[in-house]
Amino acid sequence: MSARGRLVVAAAWLCAASSLLAQGPPGAPPGPPRPPRAVAPVDLTGYWVSVIAEDWRWRMVTPLKGDSASIPVTPEARKVIDAWDPAKDEAAGVQCKAYGAAGLLRLPGRVHITWQDDTTLKLETDAGTQTRLFRFGATPPPGEKPSWQGHSVANWERPPQTPGAPPTLPIFATRIGTRGRALEVTTTHLRPGYLRKNGIPYGEKVSLTEYFDYYKEPNGDEWFTVTTIVRDPQYLIGPFITSSDFKKEPDGSKWRPTPCTAF
Amino acid sequence: MARSGVRLLAPPFRRTLFVRLAAALLFACASPAAAQVDFSGQWAPVYHEDNAERIPGPELADYTGLPLNDAARLQADSWDADRISVVSSYQCRPHSSDYGMRGLGNLRVWTELDEKQQLVAFRTYMPAWGSERTIWMDGRAHPPEHAEHTFQGFSTGVWEGNMLTITTTHQKTNYYRRNGVPASDRRTVVEHWTRHGEFLTVITVVTDPVFLTEPLVRSQNWFNDVGQALPAFTCEYATEVPGAQKVPNHLPGANPYLTEFADWYGLELAATRGGAETMYPEYRLKMGAPHSKPPDRCQRYCACSGGFFCDVNPPRPAR
Repeated sequence: MSARGRLVVAAAWLCAASSLLAQGPPGAPPGPPRPPRAVAPVDLTGYWVSVIAEDWRWRMVTPLKGDSASIPVTPEARKVIDAWDPAKDEAAGVQCKAYGAAGLLRLPGRVHITWQDDTTLKLETDAGTQTRLFRFGATPPPGEKPSWQGHSVANWERPPQTPGAPPTLPIFATRIGTRGRALEVTTTHLRPGYLRKNGIPYGEKVSLTEYFDYYKEPNGDEWFTVTTIVRDPQYLIGPFITSSDFKKEPDGSKWRPTPCTAF
Repeated sequence: MARSGVRLLAPPFRRTLFVRLAAALLFACASPAAAQVDFSGQWAPVYHEDNAERIPGPELADYTGLPLNDAARLQADSWDADRISVVSSYQCRPHSSDYGMRGLGNLRVWTELDEKQQLVAFRTYMPAWGSERTIWMDGRAHPPEHAEHTFQGFSTGVWEGNMLTITTTHQKTNYYRRNGVPASDRRTVVEHWTRHGEFLTVITVVTDPVFLTEPLVRSQNWFNDVGQALPAFTCEYATEVPGAQKVPNHLPGANPYLTEFADWYGLELAATRGGAETMYPEYRLKMGAPHSKPPDRCQRYCACSGGFFCDVNPPRPAR
């Protein structure tokens, strides 16, 4: 290769290297990968309260029977909605159907987030006294049984990439979106439940993708918003997308665990 | 036989091409990214929250979820929807930039770049009232307080990681809900834009010293819709109520419709009046009984989940 050719190749590799380096944590020393807790780009731990500025009459009170407004339900779901009977749910011991992962963070209440260990983020709710575990780098073990909170796999959001795209050398381009701060959680293995307390159903094939975004306001208030994408081929005609807003509290003095109720 | 197209070039030009190519590569690497995230494209709104309020429109006197003060309630209670028909300045009144992100929000976003391909501004277009907006990314300051106020206001943005944080001032008076809940021209709006794959989430935080007792935080979602094309918008003024001599309104204490919303949906009347206290979970502990006996089942806007095809009174299921 000529000297000029080597010059171009060197420039291209310099470009590629700088682009790849930009995707790692700033200032990360070389060595073995650090655990998710150590490289967390934001701190989501603490007590948070849901502030109900949206969907108030579907969240702060149990909506009227038959009210599925805003949710893209299938005709099959409509039959379930019209048959909703909270007394039957209580009698059957399934009063937690509205407290499953797909609907849990829409309920009014407080959440408490802590690191259970270096690779597991724990989210507890006082509404229904539920616990979700966000496991980094984990896949559901074979044969895992469905549960109200299912199996959640977490990662710090990776830079955007076109799905299925071949690897490219970044000639004449740099990569953007490399400074992600969101927590991405994918949840499967859920027991069928309700998206709302008035019996809007999700089925056993449901999956859930969530993005937790942290931000701080000029008045010092800290918030996170979780964007939730529910996919259910049985009861939804397409993805059901909501975003729920939580404000940080100084301590757990307002934490008030309550049991599930179907009413 | 030439092994590549480059071999076909004469030597002096080839040498220049190599040097230029290497220089361009190094320049591309040395230059900071034009943006942390590219929000450019066609975005279709998702109305999976408050659909009945945002599409067909809110019920009268529904102030739920809004941290209103008494001044805001007083003004909202005087609202009469005939005002839109009678008062010409209301007929083609645009959505402000903050309400526009909540209301009829098909959205196109593109970038303005300078000659060095650095980001100067994001620009947005929404066909509802033909609203165009500029979000300056070049570090310029906001104008002084006495500068002109517009429906879109003056917006500047900064990056916080992949999140774009926008501050908007200088908006005209508008509304937080299309049933007369007012927004003052002294409000400041902070937005946080985040893109997760094909989804865009915009969080809006409104601080309004005139009508809100605490910041109003809401979040809206879009999906990337490569097949979307947005039309132009036209609005013509017309006399819809011939001979009208006054601005339709309800004087304090004289609005007969303020309890309808609570009665239709089986709600406590005090909760429908809004206020910061009603937005926190503990309010459920002190919430009183419904204003009247609730209906056995939903009777209004029960199945709205898409666009405008939302029946007020859907057919009852066969019994």
